[in-house]
Amino acid sequence: MQHLISILIKAIFVENVIFAFFLGMCSFLAVSKKINTAFGLGLAVIFVMVLTTPLNYLIMNYMLKEGALSFIHPSLASVDLTFLSFILFISVIAGAVQLVEMIIEKSLPALYGALGIFLPLITVNCSILGTSLFMQEREYNMAETTVFSLGSGIGFFLAIVLLASIRERLRYSNIPAPLQGLGIAMIITGLMALAFLSFSGIQL
Amino acid sequence: MKWIRRTVDSVKPNFGKGGRFEKFHYLFDAFETFLFVPGTTTSHGVHIRDAMDLKRTMMTVIIALVPTLLFGMWNVGFQHYRAYGMEVSLLDNFLFGFWKVLPIIIVSYAAGLGVEFVFAVLRKHPVSEGYLVTGLLIPLIVPVTIPLWMVALGAIFCTLLGKEIFGGTGMNFMNPALLARAFLFFAFPAYMSGEIWTDLSQEPGRAVVDAYSGATNLAIFDENFLEMDSARDMFLGTIQGSIGETSTLACLIGALILIVTGVGSWRIVLTVFAGGYLMGLFMNVLAPADVPLHAMHTPAYYHLIMGGFAFGAVYMATDPVTATHTQTGKYIYGLLIGAFTVVLRVFNPAYPEGMMLSILFMNVLAPLIDHLVIQQHIKKRMSRA
Repeated sequence: MQHLISILIKAIFVENVIFAFFLGMCSFLAVSKKINTAFGLGLAVIFVMVLTTPLNYLIMNYMLKEGALSFIHPSLASVDLTFLSFILFISVIAGAVQLVEMIIEKSLPALYGALGIFLPLITVNCSILGTSLFMQEREYNMAETTVFSLGSGIGFFLAIVLLASIRERLRYSNIPAPLQGLGIAMIITGLMALAFLSFSGIQL
Repeated sequence: MKWIRRTVDSVKPNFGKGGRFEKFHYLFDAFETFLFVPGTTTSHGVHIRDAMDLKRTMMTVIIALVPTLLFGMWNVGFQHYRAYGMEVSLLDNFLFGFWKVLPIIIVSYAAGLGVEFVFAVLRKHPVSEGYLVTGLLIPLIVPVTIPLWMVALGAIFCTLLGKEIFGGTGMNFMNPALLARAFLFFAFPAYMSGEIWTDLSQEPGRAVVDAYSGATNLAIFDENFLEMDSARDMFLGTIQGSIGETSTLACLIGALILIVTGVGSWRIVLTVFAGGYLMGLFMNVLAPADVPLHAMHTPAYYHLIMGGFAFGAVYMATDPVTATHTQTGKYIYGLLIGAFTVVLRVFNPAYPEGMMLSILFMNVLAPLIDHLVIQQHIKKRMSRA
C-alpha cells in the first residue's frame, strides 16, 4: 500500500510529466489561456491516461512480450513482438480519445468548442504515450500501472491548471510585445519547473 | 537640502518633453522622486488619498530590514572570530562583518539597478522602487563567502527573468529575491550549501579551532537533532547561516514594523508560523518511536527558529505581489508555506532549507488559490440571492 502511495506522489510531484520530463508541452502551452478550458483538458487527459495505460499494459504482457503468446501454442514461446508496441499503444490511445471526444461533444458542447483541435490532438500528446512507455520501461505490475497512470494524469492536470491560473493573473502585465503569448508561457514554465525542483530530492 | 532642489530643478528641463535627454526622462525621474516627494497627481483611474505611495511602502520594508542587516553584520564577525577562538569587542565584530557585507550589497544594487535602468529607458516606464527591497534581500539570504560575480549573476537573472520580462514591479508572479537564490542554489550548489557559512579568511598567527564545525543546524538536525545549537542561540541568532536570516528576534522586530505600518500582512506572518508549528507537532505524533533520533522527533518550535523560517515568513511570504490577493487565500497560503517547509526539511535531505523552495512553490500556487476562493465566494453569494 505504502509503495503504491509513493508511486502516486512521485508521479504527481517529484517526476511530474511536465516539469520533470517536459512531455506534452504542445497542449500544455496552447490550452492554458483560461482556467476553465485547462481544467477540462486536464480532466480529459486524466481519463485517457487511466484508460489507456492499463490497457496497454494488458496488450504488452499478453500479446507483445517475448513468450506472451505461448498460451495459444507452445511453439510461439519464442515470438517477441515488442517492436509493435509503439504503433499498438498509439492506436489504443487514439481509440480512447475518440471515445472521450464523443462523450464531451454530447455532454459538454461548450467545452468541446473551447478545446477545438486540441481535443483530438490528445492522441499525439506525448505525455500519454510517455506514460505508457514508462510503464513498459519500469516493468510495473497491473496495480502499479493503474496508480502510476492516475498520478501522471493528475500531474498534467495540476501543471496545466497552475499555468492557466498564472497566465490569467498576468493578463494585465506589461509583457514586451515579442514575448507575448507563447514566449512568456515558456518562461513561466521554466520558472515553475524551478519551483517544482523542490521535490526532486525526496526519498519515497 | 535647498541646493539639491535647485540643482535638480535646473537640469529638469533637459529631461522633459522636447529636452535634450528626453530619452532618459525616467532615469531622471527615478532620482528626483527618490530624493523628493513628487508634486504630480494621479491623472486617471482610482484616486486614493494616502501618503503611502509605492516609494514609501518600499522604504518601510527597507527600514524593517535594518535590524536583520545590522545583526547579520555583527554575526558575520562573531562567527569569524569564534572559529578562530578569539574574543573581540562588539564593535570589532560588527566592523569585520560590515566590510564583508558591504561589497555584496553594492554589487547586488549595481547589477540589478543596471538592468532596471536599461529597461526603464528602453521600455519607457518609470524605475520603480521594488528593486531597492529586492537588492537588499539578496545579500541577506546568501552566505557571506559567496563570490561577488555570483551575486551579480543572481541579481541580473532575477531582475531580468523574474520581473522586467513581466513588465516590472507588481507584475511578476514569483518573488525575485528568492528566485535569485534558488537560481544560484541549483546552478552552483558548491557555493550555496555545505560548510561555507562562516568567513574563514586568514587571521595572522591563528588557526581554526578544533571545535569548529561548519555545518548549520539544518544539516545537523537530519542526523541528530540533539546536537543542534541551543534554542536560545537560535532565537537570538548567534548561529551560522545566511547573512541576515539567523536571528529570529531581529526578524520579529521587522515583523512588528511591517505589521504596525500595515505594509506586511499579519495574516500571512501568523499563519506561516502556525502552519510550521502544527506540522511540526503532527510530525512528532507520526514519528517512529523505535528511532529516537529521527528528524521527525524534532521539537516543533525548533522549526520556527531554525534556518530562514522567520526571515522567510516575515519578509518573503508577505510580498504583496506574489502572495495571494484575497483575505481567505492569505490564511491558506500562509498555512501551506509553513507546513510545506517542515515537510521538505524532514523528508528532503537534499535541500535542507525548505523555506525558500516552499515559498517559491506557493507563489506558483497562489493564483489558483485566489481563483478558487473567488469562485467559492461567487457561488455563496449566488445561492443567497
